[in-house]
Amino acid sequence: MVTSIRSTLPEIARGIALLYAEHPVEADEAFADFQVRIARPRGLRRWVRPQVQFQFDGTPPFHPLPGDQAFPILEWGLNWCVSAHCHQYLIVHAAAVERAGQALLLPAPPGSGKSTLCAALVHRGWRLLSDELALLDPATHAIVPLARPVSLKNASIELIRRFAPEAVLGETVHDTLKGSVAHMKPPQDAVRRSLEPAAPRWIVMPRYEARAAAARLTPLARGQAFMQLADSAFNYHLHGRAGFELLADVVEGCECFELAYANLEEALAALEGMQ
Amino acid sequence: MTSPLIAALRDPAAVRSWSVPQWERLIRQARSADLLSRLAHLLAETAIPPGPRRHLVAAQVTAGAQAEAVQREVAHVARALASTGVDVILLKGAAYLLAGLPVSRGRVFNDVDILVPREALPRVEAALMLHGWAGSHHHPHDQRYYREWMHELPPLRHLARESVLDVHHAIAPLTGRFRPDSAKLIAAARALEGQPRLKVLAPVDMVLHAAAHLFLNEELTHGLRDLADLDALLRDFAREASFWSALEERAHELDLSLPLQYALRYCARLLATPVPEQYLKDSIPVWKRGLLDALYLRALQPHHPDASDRFTPLARALLYLRGHWLRLPPHLLLYHLTVKALRKRPEEPLTQGR
Amino acid sequence: MRWRSVDSNLLMLREFDGELVVRNDVTGSTHLLDPLAAEVLRTLIAAPEGLTAAELGARLAEGIEEQADWSALIEPTLMEFQRLGLAERASSASPS
Repeated sequence: MVTSIRSTLPEIARGIALLYAEHPVEADEAFADFQVRIARPRGLRRWVRPQVQFQFDGTPPFHPLPGDQAFPILEWGLNWCVSAHCHQYLIVHAAAVERAGQALLLPAPPGSGKSTLCAALVHRGWRLLSDELALLDPATHAIVPLARPVSLKNASIELIRRFAPEAVLGETVHDTLKGSVAHMKPPQDAVRRSLEPAAPRWIVMPRYEARAAAARLTPLARGQAFMQLADSAFNYHLHGRAGFELLADVVEGCECFELAYANLEEALAALEGMQ
Repeated sequence: MTSPLIAALRDPAAVRSWSVPQWERLIRQARSADLLSRLAHLLAETAIPPGPRRHLVAAQVTAGAQAEAVQREVAHVARALASTGVDVILLKGAAYLLAGLPVSRGRVFNDVDILVPREALPRVEAALMLHGWAGSHHHPHDQRYYREWMHELPPLRHLARESVLDVHHAIAPLTGRFRPDSAKLIAAARALEGQPRLKVLAPVDMVLHAAAHLFLNEELTHGLRDLADLDALLRDFAREASFWSALEERAHELDLSLPLQYALRYCARLLATPVPEQYLKDSIPVWKRGLLDALYLRALQPHHPDASDRFTPLARALLYLRGHWLRLPPHLLLYHLTVKALRKRPEEPLTQGR
Repeated sequence: MRWRSVDSNLLMLREFDGELVVRNDVTGSTHLLDPLAAEVLRTLIAAPEGLTAAELGARLAEGIEEQADWSALIEPTLMEFQRLGLAERASSASPS
């Protein structure tokens, strides 16, 4: 997937230089799937409490945000490009990582901690496939990689800094709709292997529970896992009968669990126990 | 007309030799004109580079899901109206789909449009309400606009399914200059196989309706898509030898000759629809022809910065006004536009796609 | 009062450990059925002529010794199926 990004904003240039350092830059003549622009909207707001806006092929799909949220709006905008257009895939709102050719899928609603878990996993031997948008290929039933910066919020930012000091994090932006937000650079390996899909082997629903005594991995009925996947998918309804078959086949081939955890290290240890 | 989208619609095979920038512009224009899935259908047998191909595939997935949704919606409508004894005539997309017409392949579908006799409106509306549809546009002015002046109920939204149903009793506004006789349309309507209470317009009437919709309506937001519909309908129906003369005759009978002339003219000019020469002779005076061309040839282009020149916004604005003028007599038009301008619109979140 | 499932050609079913996920072409919706509901649906699908609640109960009870008020168990399920569009009441005439 190739995106053409235009902007005159320095924080965009900085963010891309840092967090997309491993991504190949295509020649001008390459086919771009999406054309986006991050700019300050015209009018008075250019100077009075300036804003920043995401444009897709010349049209803004959402309202502008405060001016300092340029890089987050780029990331959210790119997520939107995929989830609103890439219907050749069944797109699940989930993190996905891979090891030894087998993928772990972590569907979860916001606040479940999946991005934090994902950021941790990719520094403990797992390859990043995606932190938000798992792309299921109907033809192969595999997850197609979308190795992009991992978005971290609030306490997770510091948590990951301590957990993985080698991780490269961009600027923290405060007071966004999601609180404080920072993005973590995807590991080089993940970007290099962007064309290597992986077959799902485990489905785990993570649940961050502050009071959890110890991390618990409990088996999840496949029927439940199916419904959770369908509920977490952006475009399940667009795939009709084929979507049903795809999810059913995927679930059939996976071991399914729920993971309740309060501590990141314990969570990772529990996930290791799956193999 | 150098728009890649129009070029591809005219001659799908030509894309085989296209460059990457041309493909990019094509995909972007097609997406913005809601013609991406139609393009996918036209290019089904053509080898396409992988980059553009994924966008066409994605568009086909969406169009397929929309078609299924329309089928379901029509079934709901048929069930809801079964007890009213009214023959329901499907219009536009829903009609094309249920009649299995080539124009429906790769088409994008949104609302369902139906036509019922005007005297049946109260019981149709009642039956729909009973089955979960609710009115929109509650402002009394809008209600009047739709009910008294236009040719439809204000759009009905189903509370649970959130689908939209447009119930028409005529195919052109009551207050407009052109008033095709609905009774004639209803009398000529054809039954659908296996669907006891559903009908579609006769082929010539389908074409005339599409032409009236495009050239008498106030907005040209989907002008090219509507023109593409016309092109597909004409190509399909023209396989019947007597079609063209029947079309001309019926247009005359329904007082829709003028919109038909515009339709044939611009289909032939932009999309190379094979309209026989004798039906392209027009009675539009030469001086007017030039102006209309300047307006329509611009306004029917894809709504895309690529496909516009500096006159295009003005062209669209003039046609918007003209469209309104055709729907409402001047004194009512002024009233309507003034009220529209004065009323505050609630802030709508910008949503993607449809 | 006989009950009938929706035309089985319009249903997609997949079983996972006794539970059943079902997709209904008519509504476009997907549902998860617990083992009892799954059995009720399967039994209805296998009897296109339709079954009364009592007949359904009898079939489900086959081979099970424990007494159970099957009607009480089945009625709510059938009502739910009707609401979801998976089954409907049939008239006593045979289905067209």
